[in-house]
Amino acid sequence: MAEREECTGLLEGEDDSESSPSSSKYCSSEKQLPACCDPSRLLHRIVVLIFMCFLGFGSYFCYDNPAALQTQIVQDMDLNTSMFMQLYAWYSWPNVVLCFLGGFLLDRVFGIRTGGESLAVAQNTYAVSWFKGKELNLVFGLQLSMARLGSTVNMNIMGWIYSSVKGLVGSPGHTTLGITLLIGCATCIFSLICALVLGYLDKRAEKILNKEQGETGEVIKLTDVKDFSISLWLIFIICVCYYVAVFPFIGLGQVFFIEKFNFSPEQARAINSVVYIISAPASPVLGFMVDRIGKNIIWVMCAVVTTLAAHMMLAFTFWNPWIAMSLLGISYSLLACALWPMVAFVVPEHQLGTAYGFMQSIQNLGLALISIAAGYILDNHGYLFLEVFFSACVCLALIAVVMLYFVDLLRGGDLNLSAKKRGQLQQISDTEAEQRERLLQQNREDLARLRPMSAFGLRNRYLSRLGAQVQYGGND
Amino acid sequence: MGSVCREDASLRYDADPHNPPSEVRSDALFREGLTQSGQTTYTPRLIALDLKEASTVSVYSWCNSATIWEYRDNSTDQSQAAADSYFPPYSLEEFTWEDLNRTLNHSALTAQLCGRNQSQHRGRVCFQISAFESWGRDPAWPRLLHSANSSQLRFVIEGVMPRSNCSRFALELLSIDSRDHEAREETHRSIDDEYTPSIFQVSQLVSVHVNSSAPVLSYAQWKPVAYRTASPVFEDSTPCRHSPSSPPLPPPRLGLALAFFGGALDQGYRASAVNISFGIPGEPFYNATGYLSWSCLLGLGSPPEDSFSPLVLGIMVVGLGTPALLLLVGGAYVCVRRLGRQQPGYAPIN
Repeated sequence: MAEREECTGLLEGEDDSESSPSSSKYCSSEKQLPACCDPSRLLHRIVVLIFMCFLGFGSYFCYDNPAALQTQIVQDMDLNTSMFMQLYAWYSWPNVVLCFLGGFLLDRVFGIRTGGESLAVAQNTYAVSWFKGKELNLVFGLQLSMARLGSTVNMNIMGWIYSSVKGLVGSPGHTTLGITLLIGCATCIFSLICALVLGYLDKRAEKILNKEQGETGEVIKLTDVKDFSISLWLIFIICVCYYVAVFPFIGLGQVFFIEKFNFSPEQARAINSVVYIISAPASPVLGFMVDRIGKNIIWVMCAVVTTLAAHMMLAFTFWNPWIAMSLLGISYSLLACALWPMVAFVVPEHQLGTAYGFMQSIQNLGLALISIAAGYILDNHGYLFLEVFFSACVCLALIAVVMLYFVDLLRGGDLNLSAKKRGQLQQISDTEAEQRERLLQQNREDLARLRPMSAFGLRNRYLSRLGAQVQYGGND
Repeated sequence: MGSVCREDASLRYDADPHNPPSEVRSDALFREGLTQSGQTTYTPRLIALDLKEASTVSVYSWCNSATIWEYRDNSTDQSQAAADSYFPPYSLEEFTWEDLNRTLNHSALTAQLCGRNQSQHRGRVCFQISAFESWGRDPAWPRLLHSANSSQLRFVIEGVMPRSNCSRFALELLSIDSRDHEAREETHRSIDDEYTPSIFQVSQLVSVHVNSSAPVLSYAQWKPVAYRTASPVFEDSTPCRHSPSSPPLPPPRLGLALAFFGGALDQGYRASAVNISFGIPGEPFYNATGYLSWSCLLGLGSPPEDSFSPLVLGIMVVGLGTPALLLLVGGAYVCVRRLGRQQPGYAPIN
């Protein structure tokens, strides 16, 4: 999101006890709506923000249910680890296609949201629509934090819910598991209610404020894929190789900590959720730091190397795993802050939607395949080999980062600029754009003045040169 | 395997006082028993493995399983089972054993000895013994690494009727050592679980000189895992626990012990016992599958140690080396290009 217009639509809505003609134009009505129901007031937008955040909570809560209940699912349903990991794989398969189509559907039939990853696209649209401007960063950060909070809460209470239900039912088994999962999906129903409320509020604000639909520019065109530069493809590789070493690991992590480090199930769940707990407050902070300092590729390299160190610590030593998991959490946040904005630096704005949609699609494809592979590896070769496999994936990402650094350096690209330089370049390009705009304007004016003379005017000029009497008042 | 055949050949029923006693006291090593069809037979109580081309085989310690315990596991935490939850144990001396010669495989150097209790009609307890000629790894889980100085013993309970709804089994390992040696029980943590997924420990019962821990004279090594089906997958493993080594006991007056050590048993030797229980609270009981198998490696010298497989080492070397190599090569290339570009086409004017 490199360029953002300062839209006056909703930001100045705070001081509108009387109608302010420069900002929102809404039908003047005699009765004032109360502050929390008025779409142009800050309080109402805070209410909308709360609903937006809880929209993602339910989805991410349910995504990580299998991780929190791995032992119980495997025992009660008599699965092996490969079959268990297919629960994650089947989340990702539809999202490979839906991310692509999601943006398209959004534009065509505004208001239909399908699936978990398309939910992210939908949330982005709502956010841009309501908070376009300087608040957008904060809103994105808060949404990510709430999503990760949902995952954390899931990790820590699902085990407790299972034990309580087991006490009620009397024995473990698929009945107990079923009841537990039903309680879990109550949060999804809660998210659904949030979505419906948001939809209603959005339609209502549309009517009251007569505002334009916020466009994120995500019109997906499949043919744009062939125009991607090599830097962009390297960024895709980094994204896929990195995330497949984080999410499947968290999915299988609980039993790993129980077996290798002799943790109790509660401790194992707590440490498994540390990655999300850390990323919730760290994402805004690290994003701010990357904004100030710039040099995105260096930060991405740091994040990848730190993740590699964390995986090797977990594989080859018995050191306290809290250290490794904290490192993993910090590097995961750092990578998210530094990698995704790079896409906006290499891709022109009209292709941004395609690029992000494609990135999400192949990320989900990678997650689906690697989830199944991880389950198979664990069943046959154990945890050490699994950790070595994840380290190899991170090494692939590291190779891609190094190549990206050199490609960028040799082509004189601007991915690795410091923030100061990038600001200067932005200023220069802005002044250049301004000059070009002025030149164009002048040309247009000149062209207007060089209008060809009409026949009457031509005759008048000829006659005045001759000294003859001219007749004025022709019809030009 | 040679000594088994030697004992077979020296069996005599006639107690001729003029014949010199054979080097092996058959009466201690074999006893009378009944086959399933009710015929009298002479069944072995001990399998002694003779190591090929060993000049002297001095037996420092002597390992035997004498009893199988069954207990009812009602506990919800990992504390010990209460004393009253133990059923009367199965003593292996009272078992009827099948004919060993039928299962003896000379080329693969394996044998299987199966026996059953009088009260059991279908269930049986088996000991599968394998001897080895070189370094290698067992193909079946737990895939213990063995050397030429070791042999593997696999203990299987199959089809035995459990005496309660929540039964678990435990095995008693008895070790008899001379007085200047002691049996010590150790547990090592290992980061490598490639060959036994999710097992990060190795347990050993080693025999060392008193007051020194090296060199290890003989060992019994096992991984704390048992399997609940005949061809197990990852989910069929169940953890084992073993008790700490008991303080030295006077050696039991078992016929076998007397046969091996002779009259010096009481003065020169001491015994210690380790109980190995299969399954912990939270794991499925024996009743779920009716099958249990556990493997143990017995041998002379130091116990073998696992190391990383070449595949793991290869992956790490390639994975870490390639980015480092790329950085070096790329950095060198960039430097060379920068130096090349700095050639001034024109000399500066001022």
